Amino acid sequence: MYRYDTHDQQFVDERVAHYRDQTERYLAGGLSEDEFLQLRLRNGLYVQRLAPMLRVAVPYGTLSSTQLRRLAHISRTYDRGYGHLSTRQNMQFNWPELAEVPDILAELADVQMHAIQTSGNCIRNTTTDELAGVAANETVDARPYCELIRQWSTAHPEFDWLPRKFKIAVKGSHEASVDRAAIAVHDIGLGVKRNDDGEVVFDVFVGGGLGRTPVIGALIHDALPEAHLLTYLEAIMRVYNRYGRRDNKYKARIKILVRAMTADGFRERVDAEWAAIRETTDAVSTEQLAEVRSRFERPAYEALEDQTAALSAARLANPEFDRWMRHCVFEHQVPGYASVMLSTKVTGIPPGDVTDTQMEAVADWADNFGHGEIRISHQQNFVLPDVRQSALETLWREAKAQQLATPNVGLLTDIICCPGGDYCSLANAKSIPVAEAIQQRFDTYDDLYDLGPIDLNISGCMNACGHHHVGHIGILGVDKKGEEFYQISLGGNSHTDASLGQIVGPSFGRAEVTDVIGKILDVYVDSRTDDESFLQCFRRIGIEPFKERVYAATH
Amino acid sequence: MPQLIKKGKLTDADGMEFVALDTWHADSGNGLLLQVDDEPNSEIAKAPAIAIHFGAFNDGRGLSLAVLLRSRYGFEGDLRAVGDVHHDLVHYLVRCGFTSYELPEGRDLDVALRGASVYSRYYQPCVAQAHEDALKRVA
Ligand code: SF4
Repeated sequence: MYRYDTHDQQFVDERVAHYRDQTERYLAGGLSEDEFLQLRLRNGLYVQRLAPMLRVAVPYGTLSSTQLRRLAHISRTYDRGYGHLSTRQNMQFNWPELAEVPDILAELADVQMHAIQTSGNCIRNTTTDELAGVAANETVDARPYCELIRQWSTAHPEFDWLPRKFKIAVKGSHEASVDRAAIAVHDIGLGVKRNDDGEVVFDVFVGGGLGRTPVIGALIHDALPEAHLLTYLEAIMRVYNRYGRRDNKYKARIKILVRAMTADGFRERVDAEWAAIRETTDAVSTEQLAEVRSRFERPAYEALEDQTAALSAARLANPEFDRWMRHCVFEHQVPGYASVMLSTKVTGIPPGDVTDTQMEAVADWADNFGHGEIRISHQQNFVLPDVRQSALETLWREAKAQQLATPNVGLLTDIICCPGGDYCSLANAKSIPVAEAIQQRFDTYDDLYDLGPIDLNISGCMNACGHHHVGHIGILGVDKKGEEFYQISLGGNSHTDASLGQIVGPSFGRAEVTDVIGKILDVYVDSRTDDESFLQCFRRIGIEPFKERVYAATH
Repeated sequence: MPQLIKKGKLTDADGMEFVALDTWHADSGNGLLLQVDDEPNSEIAKAPAIAIHFGAFNDGRGLSLAVLLRSRYGFEGDLRAVGDVHHDLVHYLVRCGFTSYELPEGRDLDVALRGASVYSRYYQPCVAQAHEDALKRVA
């Protein structure tokens, strides 16, 4: 993973000192609430319903075991002994004291971490595939480009005071068309690939996003040369910074500007701006890229035997282990290794919540069975990217003891869920208890396995932090005369061939939601052909059969 | 009365008169006053000084406009930030090519004066000469 050089370290250290000074002036009355708000947001501190929330940046979801141990220590010392994995691959703490935040940031800087630009109207943490650099069939590793964007966007002189928050996602390249980065629903989505000459180029999507106005991003540039990645981003950002709406925060995202200008009109503006800078601004040189790449140390992989007879025998002997292998273990680029998803989706625990003990256990496994690296997925799970296959069974036993081995990755109960009404002041309704009720109802492995891959996503309001629009099944909390109701949508998809869900109809009370989900799944089971997935089935039969079943019983 | 800071130093008012774009003439000798959403034209490089008015300190349009004046329109005179200028944001102003700013009453002069040197180096090069030591390894 990327290691800081002296400049990176100096910058985060100075940032901590700067923010400490700002916090002290605020506490002494030298900065107004409103002024301090803008400064603290850019340092990760957001005030929620019950307490401030500190969002720590985990650049493109990658952590070292040392960093994760530090997060465990922070959760124990400054918080209530747990943290929360967010859908943007970051870690959030829900109970820090405002006055202690500079100390927390100093603890982070100590291990090459920060919370810079994790909130506020600026360029946020760049996200990518949680298996970048290790996934089988990958042809281009997205991480060096993510790091390049991290550096370029950090305290950018011109683009730190945008009309609204700005999220960039990068998808590496695979033979199979997987997209674990959901680039179609980001302000900018970058698809990395190789052209016919073997050079790295980018497909640039712009104006995608969820929230009140969900939109699938438009392709505005095809095969952008890597040397021009930053000049082209600069052109997009300048057009957005100058012309994005600032009069209404609900209309301030870039998607609204792209819609107002049309994708073609927006592309023309960007191209005109780009034409003026592409030769004058330094493009990314091969040496600069090589320098960034060289700071990603490739782990020292050993020559190991792949898929040994012993592993097959262990799977055969233990069906439970076999299940976990099937759903939580992914093929690796290097023979004899595997990547493991550690599911946080255990019934009764809010999706993405992890305790200090769990964090330390994960850090230990990363050291003992891999190369000391951990990832966070946008589905709010931990990932161990490099595990020796010979250690899988031991890892499984230890992970099980820590409640991190539920074999449900990609299945119905691997729910993406925002903090909702339990924590978030913007919520219309709670989301965590809904997730829990669904997990309770569908808790047998055979049922889950029979239903196959289903993304179920829950948001507590239309800000859509739980990505409900792109869940195969989406649940949105709405407020009806002060009561919590839930609107259900079907057919969303965040992967390649992305789509937004269609609303089934009038919303339901909390008590009805699980039954409704049950009926929806019944329609699928009754209608599917052979091994048709939920999404494929929905796309074939449409929403009508679901509507009929869901509302029939209430008459 | 706002205080004028020029090239990092508190200065007496320099008497420059700034006139809005629609009434300004290149040969008038007056400074040009731009709003953050004004579109510059090729004449403006002739102005002896340009002021950009920030309606709100967190309105980043003024930063992009400054960068354009410096990098595209060839403006080399004094570029001044006026209006809601915030003492904690001075380093952005400097790096986007502002050479002076008016600090409104009630803002902290000490913080503003040390604000431009909080960071030893940045990740990006920028239009301001003063920061040519920015990390050159990206952009
Ligand atoms: S979706 Fe709404 S309720 Fe959920 S975290 Fe986001 S703002 Fe809060």
